[in-house]
Amino acid sequence: MSVRRVAILLGKDFKYGSKGFIFIMAIVAPILISLVLNLVFGTFFSQTAKLGINDQGNSRLVDLVSASDSVQTRTYASADDLRKAVEVGAVDMGVSLPDNFDEDALSGNSIVLPAYVWGESLAKNRGILLASINSAVRQLAGQEVPVQIETTTLGDAQSVPWSDRLLPFVLLYAVTIGGTMVPASLIVDEKQKRTLTALAITPTTLGDILAAKGLMGVILALVMSIVILLMNQAFGVQTGLLMIVLGLGAVLAALFGLVLGALVKDINTLFATIKGIGILLYAPVFVYMFPQIPQWIGNIFPTYYIIQPVVEISQRGGTWSDIVFEVSILAGLIVLMLVVVAFSTRRLKQQEV
Amino acid sequence: MNWQIVRALIAKDFKLYFRNRFFAFITVLALVAYIVIYFVMPQTVDETLEMAVYAPVLPPILEQAGSQGLELVLMESEEQLKEAVVGGEYLAGVVVPPDFMDKLMSGDKGQLDVYFGTDTPEELQDSITVLLEEMAYLQTGQMLSVRVSPEVLGRDMVGIQIPMRDRLLPMLAVIILMMEMLGLASLISSEVVGRTVQALLITPMTIRGLFAAKLIMGTSLAFIQVLLFMAVTGGLNQQPLIIIVALLLGAIMVTGIGFLVASGSKEMTTVMAWGFPALIVLSVPAFGVLAPGTVSDWVRAVPSYYLVDAVYQAANFNAGWSDIWDNLLILLSFDIVFVWLGITVLGRKLR
Repeated sequence: MSVRRVAILLGKDFKYGSKGFIFIMAIVAPILISLVLNLVFGTFFSQTAKLGINDQGNSRLVDLVSASDSVQTRTYASADDLRKAVEVGAVDMGVSLPDNFDEDALSGNSIVLPAYVWGESLAKNRGILLASINSAVRQLAGQEVPVQIETTTLGDAQSVPWSDRLLPFVLLYAVTIGGTMVPASLIVDEKQKRTLTALAITPTTLGDILAAKGLMGVILALVMSIVILLMNQAFGVQTGLLMIVLGLGAVLAALFGLVLGALVKDINTLFATIKGIGILLYAPVFVYMFPQIPQWIGNIFPTYYIIQPVVEISQRGGTWSDIVFEVSILAGLIVLMLVVVAFSTRRLKQQEV
Repeated sequence: MNWQIVRALIAKDFKLYFRNRFFAFITVLALVAYIVIYFVMPQTVDETLEMAVYAPVLPPILEQAGSQGLELVLMESEEQLKEAVVGGEYLAGVVVPPDFMDKLMSGDKGQLDVYFGTDTPEELQDSITVLLEEMAYLQTGQMLSVRVSPEVLGRDMVGIQIPMRDRLLPMLAVIILMMEMLGLASLISSEVVGRTVQALLITPMTIRGLFAAKLIMGTSLAFIQVLLFMAVTGGLNQQPLIIIVALLLGAIMVTGIGFLVASGSKEMTTVMAWGFPALIVLSVPAFGVLAPGTVSDWVRAVPSYYLVDAVYQAANFNAGWSDIWDNLLILLSFDIVFVWLGITVLGRKLR
């Protein structure tokens, strides 16, 4: 296998294959699905109250308000910028803190703090922001809270919001359409146009061609998984580990795509095959959607080992020790699939050459 | 220009369009999907934080909770409160002990037990805590020397907020129009590649007649669908004439863009390759409506901004002709530019 030839073939596939419908769908569809799901179940358009601050001095109030989880804080360089941000709805409310605000607040002098409120801001956000500003001023002034608040969360502690439950589905969709469908359709396309046979009489080997297609699937699946995780603010803190796991998942998906591409004859058969085995590919996501289903059922399906480590790291803050079992099986599946690819390549060679 | 020939060409184009199963399927499916998405989304906006309260002795400050954006519902027992929170009826429940006021008045710390449901977001839990603390300060008479003086910018929408699904309407309208642009571009490019257009031009059909037919066909296909969508979703309830004019201008604009896309395409996949970036760019202004403040002033350079803004203002704020005539005028200018550009570029390819 020649690395240079694989790189040339990969470049060619990106140049011409990227105009293909499936390639475009591999990019557009996961993003659109994620957007729609977020619209319906919502984390993307977060409704956390937003406060804009123009600090003309160096007030500690900015840090105190920023430390609160109930408010998103943005700072603006000038009062004009602040007013404009409120007018367009970038923030719900904007306050301009005058120079020496902290000293005046501590001295007990009466201060009127002008604030801009966005007309479309929700009543609850206005209330939360006013209370948060007041709370920060009281902290600044050293007032003692007159009440002790004990909080308790009631109900099933394992309850997961729907936006989190649906993330594995979007993620798996991005991996399978980019990692599996794109390489498979590229191989089938070459078969149908008989360019595979033409390539076979050049020094390029079938291994070079399949490696290029597989690499394209890996790159696409990896990039789209990262995009989906970023869009859903679910990247977690274990970035390195997450990238390794995403990479392994993309490799397994791409190998499966190569096998499909090598075995099926035309694009219609490819779509029919994907439709037929779709339920097996996506079965594990039902376990995430409906926690009432016994979790062991997910373990039966190979795609579970692509998705579970990602979910564990990104949504549950898992570490290497939490995913070592699943990653070992994923690595085993990759080795197994490499053997199947080798057999499929041999069969393809007999057919095409 | 022979209008009889133009009419015959339009009829033929409609038949050809719906013969392409992909676009025919996508057209119907998309329209139904958009309508379903609209109706699945909540039709109201939760303006207040709804909380359950069990208080044998109700502190006077809690009666003013409405001004803080809280809506309190009194419960008869702590058990009833817990059940309501677990059942998801309220975001939180507050239990105020009978001696709460006595403790505050005597200068001791009072205690509040707050129960949250598992679905209550963390930022809201924090917000509720901050609001309760602030009410306790006020109850004990600890006033602040700092007073925030709010000035509302723009129309004050408290109590008449626009639901997310109505903010979504302009975006869906743009997507419907653009999908039709893809269909039209695919149809034209297949005719160019199949050389049927060139064949048509050696008949009495003139190039002006050809473009007139394509323009009418493309515009009406896009316009009828988007009009149907707006009518079903109630988007025409306010200022229908303005919205219809805006949508018609939008339909003409995407038809012009369709000509441009067709001039650079050979078949469906290249139509997609050119069309999707155009679709994404034209959708950007609608994001500004969905998530205000996320796009900056440069969005005014995107032609669809004037369509999105006109539809949004008219459908949701009952804006009249005097409010949005400038949007419509700019949209008309873009129509002229895109149709002229499209006809020129595609015309060169045909000659």
